[in-house]
Amino acid sequence: MRAALLTSLGAAVLAAGCIPVQIQAPDEPIEINLNVNIRQEVIVRLERDAAELLDQNSDLFGGTTP
Amino acid sequence: MKRHFVLAGIAAAAVALTATVAMAQAGDAALAQARANGLIGEQADGYLGFVPGASISADLRGRVDQNNIQRRQLYTRRATERSVSVNEMAAAVACEVFQRPRIAVGERYRNEAGQWRQRTAGAPIEVPSFCGE
Repeated sequence: MRAALLTSLGAAVLAAGCIPVQIQAPDEPIEINLNVNIRQEVIVRLERDAAELLDQNSDLFGGTTP
Repeated sequence: MKRHFVLAGIAAAAVALTATVAMAQAGDAALAQARANGLIGEQADGYLGFVPGASISADLRGRVDQNNIQRRQLYTRRATERSVSVNEMAAAVACEVFQRPRIAVGERYRNEAGQWRQRTAGAPIEVPSFCGE
C-alpha cells in the first residue's frame, strides 16, 4: 500500500517534471523573428511596386508632403 | 418605355457611384483629421496605428480598421504576384511612406522599434533600417 502510494507519488513528480519542459520548448519566438526580419534586398526590389501601390491608392494613404 | 428604364438605371448607378465616392471622401477627411490631431499615425509595418493615450471613438476605430484591411488586401495581392511575404510587401510600402514622405510635419508615426514620434520641421523622419537609400 505504502509502496503503491510512493510509486504514484513518484509518477506524479515525474509527470510534473516533464510537462514544463514540453511547455518551454515552443518555437514561436523564432517564427516572430523571421517575420520581423525584413530582408533589405527584397524591399529594394519592391520599391517600384510600393510606389505604384501608393499612387494608385492615394485614398488609403495620406497625401504627399514635401 | 424600355429607354426610360435604361435611363433610370444609369441615373441610379450614377447616384450610387456618387454616394460611394462621397463616403470614401468623408472617410478620408475623418482619417486626415485624426492624423492631424495626433490620434493615429503611419507605422513602420505599413499600417495605420493608434497613438497610445489618444481617445479613439468607435467610428474612428472602425475607419482605421477598414483602411488597414484594404491595405492588407493590396499588400497580399501584390506579394503573391511577386512571390514575397505580405510583411515584406507591407514593409516596402512603409519605406515609401516614410521616405517620400507621406507623413506631414506635426503628424505622429511609429518607428521600426515601435516608438511613437512626432514629425517636426527640423528633425528627419526615422526611416526603418530595412529601407534602401
